[in-house]
Amino acid sequence: MAAETPTGGGETSESQGAFSRWVQSTIQNPQKAYRALFYAAMVFFLVTTLFPFYWLLVLSITPISEIGSTPFGFPPVPRGAFPWNFGAYIEVFQQVPFHLYVLNSFVLAITTTVIVLLIASLAGYVFGRLRFPGRGLLMLGVLAISYFPPAAFLLPLFDAFAGNQIFVPFTDIPLFKPPRLLNTPGSMILPFSALFMPLSIFILTTFYGQIPDGLEDAARVEGTTRLGALFRVIIPLSAPGVATAAVLTFITVYNEYFFSSIMATSNEPSNWSPLVGGILSYQTQFTTSYNLMAAAAVVGVLPVVVLVVIAQERIVSGLTAGALKE
Amino acid sequence: MSTEQETAVSTDQRSSGLFSSVTRWMENLSETQYAYLLLLPVFVILGSIALWPLLKTFEFSLFSDSLVGTSRVGEFVGLKNYVDLWTGQKDAILPGTTTFISFSAPFQSAVIVTLIFTVVSVFFETLIGFAQALILDQDFRGRRWVRVAIIIPWAVPIVIQGMIFFLMFRSGVGFATAPLQDLGLLAPTQPLNDSASALLIIIVADVWKTSAFMALLILAGLQSIDRGLYDVARVAGASKWQQFKLITFPLILPTIAVAMLFRTVAAMRVYGIIDTVSKCEVVPSLSCMVVATFQTRYGTSGAIAFSTAFIIGIFVSVIIYQRAKEGI
Repeated sequence: MAAETPTGGGETSESQGAFSRWVQSTIQNPQKAYRALFYAAMVFFLVTTLFPFYWLLVLSITPISEIGSTPFGFPPVPRGAFPWNFGAYIEVFQQVPFHLYVLNSFVLAITTTVIVLLIASLAGYVFGRLRFPGRGLLMLGVLAISYFPPAAFLLPLFDAFAGNQIFVPFTDIPLFKPPRLLNTPGSMILPFSALFMPLSIFILTTFYGQIPDGLEDAARVEGTTRLGALFRVIIPLSAPGVATAAVLTFITVYNEYFFSSIMATSNEPSNWSPLVGGILSYQTQFTTSYNLMAAAAVVGVLPVVVLVVIAQERIVSGLTAGALKE
Repeated sequence: MSTEQETAVSTDQRSSGLFSSVTRWMENLSETQYAYLLLLPVFVILGSIALWPLLKTFEFSLFSDSLVGTSRVGEFVGLKNYVDLWTGQKDAILPGTTTFISFSAPFQSAVIVTLIFTVVSVFFETLIGFAQALILDQDFRGRRWVRVAIIIPWAVPIVIQGMIFFLMFRSGVGFATAPLQDLGLLAPTQPLNDSASALLIIIVADVWKTSAFMALLILAGLQSIDRGLYDVARVAGASKWQQFKLITFPLILPTIAVAMLFRTVAAMRVYGIIDTVSKCEVVPSLSCMVVATFQTRYGTSGAIAFSTAFIIGIFVSVIIYQRAKEGI
């Protein structure tokens, strides 16, 4: 250490650049190196997460005639005369009725969210506030079901939604003949509700469990019914928890791919095909309209981006509460 | 006194009818009865949309495929579908040149592709997620906005995630193809139609989207570490690296293990990103194979679906066992 300092000091002449001066002071003060590393890593992650969106924007404002000629270099820059061509954002609604797909997605997501919140509220209340035999086992069962792949449920559900007779498994005993649900919202809302309900149950269990018993007791003494206490005391007091479950359910349904792409048997908005169908119809019908694909992707991603910016606190707390036991 | 009460009850019932009698009935249930009553909707929906299909899938898998007529399946064949599947005798049914499990062409084999995808993407998601979590754990101006930026990929719909990477790597449009081909990382022509290249691109896409989820879980773990430990370490003269090695890392390890299990289970279901970026014939995941066969071959498809559920079930039981040990 002592031997290094004189040589180090010798080099800090006025002719040295800012960089080597910075290196010098860093050697004396490692805190600075940590901070530099920290900012470098932060910028790196910001660039890698946001760059794909920049690419979509570049592609969507470059006219299609400019895209096919040569591939984009790195970093990609918009082509064509300034001001760039925002026509793709209008054309994207004209080639296919893209707004109808997005509307379908919204209807499916909102309906599923309402159903999930209602049922998960009851379950969250039971798991969070009541003590009864079988509680632990049931919670584990709900948890286990939520991990199974949708592919494991697909065959019988598709068969049933096609309107075929339902039998008791492993027997020939007929149960009932369901209505044909393919190409209707029901064929998607039902699987979504089942698959995304466990997350909401766990979030609401955590939040409902934190309300002090005294508040519920007070309401009961005042003459409120059991269910009244849940809906008038517990749920309003857990508003942040309910909002968390709602935001997460909405986003997961909006983002779902598996059932969304299968239960609507064609990519037609009249068959209740959601966002998935809208985006894919550009890939299958307009195979070289890359600017339209990019514009459609930008339009489709906007609602979730807005939601994340508004509700980030809720999302962070919900994802961690759903996955980790605090 | 008792007669008075009874009259009160009967007038009450007459005036408000069914609703009040249901309420009264509910008030008199024991806590256990009440709990199970409120759980009834959950039982109905999970039973009919998850449990029943799982059993039914297993039942389908025990029958041969029915290629003619209207019935879903042919005669009862026991476990023959599973034997045929795992010994490669069903490979001809699978789309393109894909196989169920074959070590001679690993990138065309559903089981191996799914495992490679899972192991590689979970590994990198953990690394990157950990680094992102360490950054978000610091106090700095604009932390809120950096966190939004890091979370956003998690919220992007799978179909749009797929579209982004399709447009990035599509020959003739994407800027990323040519330089990576020069480095020899991607196939020289149409990388999205080459099994190994497409798998690599899909892994990159998945890491981009899901690292944020990992970061949030790990961040929650980091923030639950007692800050007093760092004060003690600083007083004792420990460097930042020593603090990380001796405090942060050992205390965060259980959280990372749990988060990795979660991601493993989710990664093994991969389907949508493959369907959008490439094709199931090019990158055959297990879920892909179920979708590709299910409309005509209920027996085979059922066997693939239940095998998938079984493999995932192994990891699920580890999670469940851990939860049970911690008392839910």
